[in-house]
Formats: sequence, C-alpha cells, structure tokens
Amino acid sequence: MKKYIINRVIRSILAILLVVSIAIVMLFTMISRTLVFEQDATIKKLSGDKRTIYAYNKWEDLGYLDFEQMSAMCKEESKDFGSCMITGSDENNRVVSLYKDKGYTIQYLNDGTPFASRDYTALELISKFYSRLIKIDNPTFVKDEDNKDLKRGYSIGLDHNNLPAIMCSGCEYQYQLYVDGKFPFIHQNIFRLDFGHSFPTSQGIPTIDVISTGQGKTVNKQVKFPSGNVSKSAVDLHTCKYKASSTLDHLDKNKFNNNYANCQSNYDSPSMISTSYMFGILSILLSYLIALPAGMYMARKKGKWQDKVGIAYINFLIAVPSLAFIYFVKLLGQGFGLPDKFPQLGYGNIKSYILPILILALLQTAGLMTWIRRYMVDQSNADYVKFAKAKGLSQREIFNRHILKNAILPIVNGIPASIILAISGSVITESVFAIPGMGKMLPDAIKSYNNNMVITLTFIFTSLSIFSLLFGDLLMIFIDPRIQLSTKGGTR
Amino acid sequence: MSERKIILSATDVEVKFQVRSKTLTAIRNVSLDIYEGETIAIVGESGSGKSVFTKTFTGMLESNGSVSNGKIVYDGTVLTDIKTDKEWEKIRGRKISTIFQDPMTSLNPVRTIGYQISEVIMKHQGKNKQEAKQEAIDLMRKVGIINPENRFDEYPFQYSGGMRQRIVIAIALACKPNILICDEPTTALDVTIQAQILKLIKDLQKEYGFTIIFITHDLGVVANVADRVAVMYAGQIVEYGTVEDIFYRPAHPYTWALLSALPQIGKKGEDLFAIPGTPPSLFSEVIGDAFAPRNPYAMKIDFEQEPPMFGISLTHFAKTWLLDPRAPKVELPDAIKNLHEKLLEVVNGGQN
Repeated sequence: MKKYIINRVIRSILAILLVVSIAIVMLFTMISRTLVFEQDATIKKLSGDKRTIYAYNKWEDLGYLDFEQMSAMCKEESKDFGSCMITGSDENNRVVSLYKDKGYTIQYLNDGTPFASRDYTALELISKFYSRLIKIDNPTFVKDEDNKDLKRGYSIGLDHNNLPAIMCSGCEYQYQLYVDGKFPFIHQNIFRLDFGHSFPTSQGIPTIDVISTGQGKTVNKQVKFPSGNVSKSAVDLHTCKYKASSTLDHLDKNKFNNNYANCQSNYDSPSMISTSYMFGILSILLSYLIALPAGMYMARKKGKWQDKVGIAYINFLIAVPSLAFIYFVKLLGQGFGLPDKFPQLGYGNIKSYILPILILALLQTAGLMTWIRRYMVDQSNADYVKFAKAKGLSQREIFNRHILKNAILPIVNGIPASIILAISGSVITESVFAIPGMGKMLPDAIKSYNNNMVITLTFIFTSLSIFSLLFGDLLMIFIDPRIQLSTKGGTR
Repeated sequence: MSERKIILSATDVEVKFQVRSKTLTAIRNVSLDIYEGETIAIVGESGSGKSVFTKTFTGMLESNGSVSNGKIVYDGTVLTDIKTDKEWEKIRGRKISTIFQDPMTSLNPVRTIGYQISEVIMKHQGKNKQEAKQEAIDLMRKVGIINPENRFDEYPFQYSGGMRQRIVIAIALACKPNILICDEPTTALDVTIQAQILKLIKDLQKEYGFTIIFITHDLGVVANVADRVAVMYAGQIVEYGTVEDIFYRPAHPYTWALLSALPQIGKKGEDLFAIPGTPPSLFSEVIGDAFAPRNPYAMKIDFEQEPPMFGISLTHFAKTWLLDPRAPKVELPDAIKNLHEKLLEVVNGGQN
C-alpha cells in the first residue's frame, strides 16, 4: 500500500507539473504580450523611449524576456565603460554585435541608443518558474551589509501571546512555526510558494498574498511590541520579515528590538481563499445534510408520491438556469429581510451568510440527490437484499445495515473532492452577492492578462483537484473492504 | 406417505403480476401438499413459475405481483392472510428459509461473513453478540468452513463460490427453519462443487430434519436429492409423484419430453432431443392444455378444455387427457422406455 501511495503521489505531482508547464508556455508564447498593458494605467501616461523602456522592463519583470539596456551591456562586457556608452563608437558596436551573437535582438531607441532583448524559450520559461517556486527560509537568508554581526540560528521561545513558537534569526521571517487563534491554528513560514507578482491588478504584490491575506480595513488592537512598548496597532507580529538596517526608522526602533520590523497587518475581513472556503464548506455541509436524507427517502419511497415530489424538485433545479434560480431565492430571501448584497452587513453579521450558503447548497442538491437515489435503488435490487429479506430482516434493518453502506461508497469517494474544491469558490453566486472570494479571481485574471495570477490559480486548482482525487481513493480503503491498494493486485 | 404430517399446503394458488398495465397470470390454480421432512423437487423450464410459486410461501413476490386466489397454510398459519412485512418476518428465515441461485451476489460485499451470519441469530434468537458469534462459528464449521474462527471476520470476496454457497446455507439454517427452499442453489457452481453442496444439504437435512423444496431444471440433481417431484409447465403443476413415479412411470407428455431431453440418454453423433415450440404467453388466458401446441400426442379436447388432475396411484398424479378412460392408449416414447437401465448403462459405461 505504501508503494501504491508513493506511486500515486509521484504521478500526481507529474500531472500537476505537466498541466502548469503547458499553461505557462501557452500564456507566455501564444498570447500577445502587449495585452498585459491593456489595464495598466502607468503606460498610458508614458510615450516615446520612456514607454518602450517601461514596457521592456515590465516584460522582464513578468518573465517574458531578458532585457539589457546599453549601460547594462557595457557594464557586463566592456572594460572601457565611457567609450562603450557613446553610440556609434567602436567599443559600442563591438558590445552590441557581441550581444547579437549571443542571440539577442538589437533595437534602437528614438535617440539611436541600442538595446538588446531576448525572448525566453519555452524550456527557460518553465525552468525559471520551477526554480523559484518553492522558497525555503533559512538562517542564511538575510544578506545585510549594515548588520554584519547578526546572530544566525533557530530558537524555541514564547511569542507575544506567551505561546510556544520556533523563531529564527537570519531567516526572512522571524516566526518559523507558531500557533494562534486563526484557522488552521498552526502556521509556518518555512516553506513558501513564490509565483511572482501580480500585474496589472494588485500591482507589485505577490500573487499568493493577493488571494491569501486579509481584506477590508485594518484592525487595531493592543499590541505588546518586542521592545516592551504597548500601543494600539494593526500589526500582526507573527508575519514580520527582516528589514534591512538602512531602512529601519526610529518608529521601528521604538517598537522592535531587532530588524524584524516589516510586518503585515490584521484585517477585519478574511482573505479571498478563506472567504470562498468558508462559503464552500458550509454550503457543502448543508447540501449533504439536505440531499443525503432526501435522496435516501426518495429511494425508499420509489415510485410513490414522495419520490415524485423529489424528482420534480430535481428537474426544476436542473431545468431552471442557475442564475434565474439564484435571483429567485434571493428575492424570496429579501422578503425575510435578508441583505441582497454581502457587504451590506458584512462579515460580522450572520444574516449575510444565509442566502449565499442556502443557494450554493440548493444548487448542489439536485445532482447529489439524483446520485444517492440512484445508488440506493440500484442496491435495493441487488441479490443480497433479496437474501437479506429471505433471512427475515425488516426493511429498516436491510436498509440501514446493508443497502446504505453499499450505496454510500461511491458518494464518499467524492466527498474530499467537493470539500477541497470548495476553495475555488463559485463565480456566479459570489458575483451576484458581491462576495469578495476566489470565484471571480480566475476569470478576472484571464481578462486582465494577469499571467502570474492565472498560473498561480492553475497551479492551486490543479493540485487541489488531483490530490482530492487521491484523498477520495485513500478514503475508500478505510470504508470499502474490497479495495486494497496494492501494486501487486489480486486476491483469491 | 399419506400418514405423514403435512407441513405446508397450497390450495388453488393463483399469482398475478401487473406488467405495464397488462396482467400476467404466472401461477394458475396450483395445489400441492408438502410433507414434513421430505425433499420435494419442483422442475420445469425457465418461466414455468417454479420460483414464483415458492416465493409465495415467504411473501417474497416482487411488488407488482400478488396471490390473487387460493390459500397457503403453513403449520396452522394461513400465509395468504399475512399482509405486513412485520408478520412475514416471523416466518422468513425463522420458519422458512430460502437460498438463492447465485452465491456470488447473495452476500453483502461490504459486510463480514461473520456479521451476516450472526445478525440473523441475534435477530431471531435474541442472542447477544458474543453468543451469536460462537453459534455462527459452530455453523460455519458445520457447513465445512475450515478454520472458521479466522474466517469469521473475512469478507465475501475472500471466499470462493462454493464456500460462499456454504455460508449462504449456514445463514439459511442459522435459525433452524422447518422448511428450506433451495432456488437452484447449484446452478452457478461447477459440477464438482455442485455435488459437494448437494451432499452438504442432504447431510444437514439428516441432522436437522428440515423439509427441502428444491427448485431446479436439472433432472440429474432431482434424481440425486429428491423424494418427490412436481413438474411445472406454464404456471401449473402438470404431474407430481415420487422420484420413481416421475422417472420410470411418467404420465404427462411434457414430462416425457423433459426426460427425453436428458443429455445422459442422448446417443453420440445424434442431436439431443429438444421440445419444439415455445411455452404459451401467460398474458392471455390459456385455453385447454397449455402444452397442447407442442404436444405430438395432443387430442382435439386438449385444445378446448383444461384437463383435470388424474390420480394414477396414491402418490402419483398427472394433468393430461391421456389418462381419461376415453383416451386412446399411448405408449411411452422409445427414448425414455427402460430409463432406469439406460441411465445405469450410462453410469456403468462411464465407470469402465
């Protein structure tokens, strides 16, 4: 079994890498790169050489190409920087042709200054992505010329809340492993995924932070800083990063007794991922709570009026376009005084959640009920049910002891997938209720040519789907005795 | 025979099914007495109503079927009066058990063998889990499972087909029923396993003394296990009697045809005998003798009027106009004359 799982994990990882690689190559080679500026406000203000240089710099940032301006070329290849920088000089021509030979395309600015650029090949694109993907924090991370006697190493201590934490000096993050009141309660800063920065929306922020840090207003709380200073602040001390000594100001020195002063804030609203996940999980829970008993009941009353009512409900949900259904339920809900947009009452009020969760849940019930009813009916006709009846068991006993377990197996297989994939949010419902979740992230990112964000989401969604399938299968080992994952295979 | 106690008596039983707004009469006025401790075989081709008839003894008819006429009495209880499943639960498994054709699918694939045996013991005998387990293990040993303590917690897929049928038998016998209905219990098994299972059933019958109703279309099995045989055709019992009556003194042309089709008496190089035609549709009323269209001995009256059950001896009855005193005398077909000698010859020939 161990061997099977290792095999599956390896294959899953390969599948993820393949999908993400294809996405990267497609995004960077098949879509016109000028499109990334469609929604960029900065470039519209620029013209001429400035515009050209801005565009190439951005493309280099985004990983399209390697851009070299004349000064960079001269620094790299020439001993005589002064003459190299004179356009048309021998040294200048030598360096330029050197770059031409290296495979760079030479272009000229309006003032005649040459510059070189080279598009990355597909292979380079992929290898660049994966080489920076996983960042492991370590005590040698900080390279600060002004702080040569920085101690480097790990220590275990208590944080400002007097909870145990693993801390590090010399790492990017001070807190490597810590505990707090936020889900999932144990947090780490050791491994981080780096997908590059978001552009043009949320410019300059790492894509992973865009979707995973809090939203809304910052929240001020009494914070006891490492220096002993207690004041009202929004700072989340667990997220503090190293700040170079040259940039430390007196405010930082007031609060912190070390260089870990670059901290994130506490926000009043959870991140996009958390928001979507909360809605997703609650709605899945509700949909199973409704659909499982309903589907089972329909199967037991197959052909009777109760079953027919259920089938009518399922057909209604399938036939009515989901948008119409959403607005229908929304209108009904408004009649009960529920808000028609999430931000009206916001995160703090339970009323904000009722309609979206109810709608998300109801939309899922149709499919679930159909399947459960179908599995139940299938199993009720099985020979072992006939034999169980001949044994003298009552309908209820047959149902609870025999049919249920058999019918529920294929449903259970899908549960991890639906729970994990809840993270991806729902496009329509979130838009209708203006919920700041993940649902709109992917379409928005595609629309605004936010390549790094598209890749980030592709990576996250692919990984989640593939691993949730794996979890579903692993779950089966525990509930279905017939399944024994082995590479050898075969029972008697 | 007649002085033995009748354990189950069916009188004029008629079973109807509603199939897509049409009515199908699957059993037409069948009467049969079953004696305590005997083994009675019900034979007939597919669709003749063998299984449907016995399903009425335990209320196991499909939901679109019902006993529309007649009376079935088991040991003083009028089974045809039972309406609810709750009442049936006192009969099923406890008094009358059934084992089905396919042991591969008769057991719940995701419950342990032990669970499936002990749940019946717990339900019908009110024993606790530990006692039930002990009894289940004893039963498993009795039906020939080696090392039952270890195999108690195994699942059906870990058992072979023959072993599973043994478990099915163990479950059926868990509550010491008075009647065991075996609905083609060996059809899905290969020949050597068939013989083992038949022997097991007979051995258990000797020990427990239950009555067996054996449904089969394998006349070889009938000769092997049965005391009495009832031949069914198109929803009726057309002939019944002791095994000797049926095999050596058959009286109904359908029985003749069945026996003629025995592969054991076929000659090498010749085609096996097959009964021409198909059984009548049971959706419409059958006029006269249902077998008449396929019967080379059919007379005019066979197409007009249903024959009554003629008594040939105290134990032997047949439903054919040929037994009417006015009917012409008909000889047994050549193929099944001296069937005993022919079968002996096959057996001996096989040994040499």
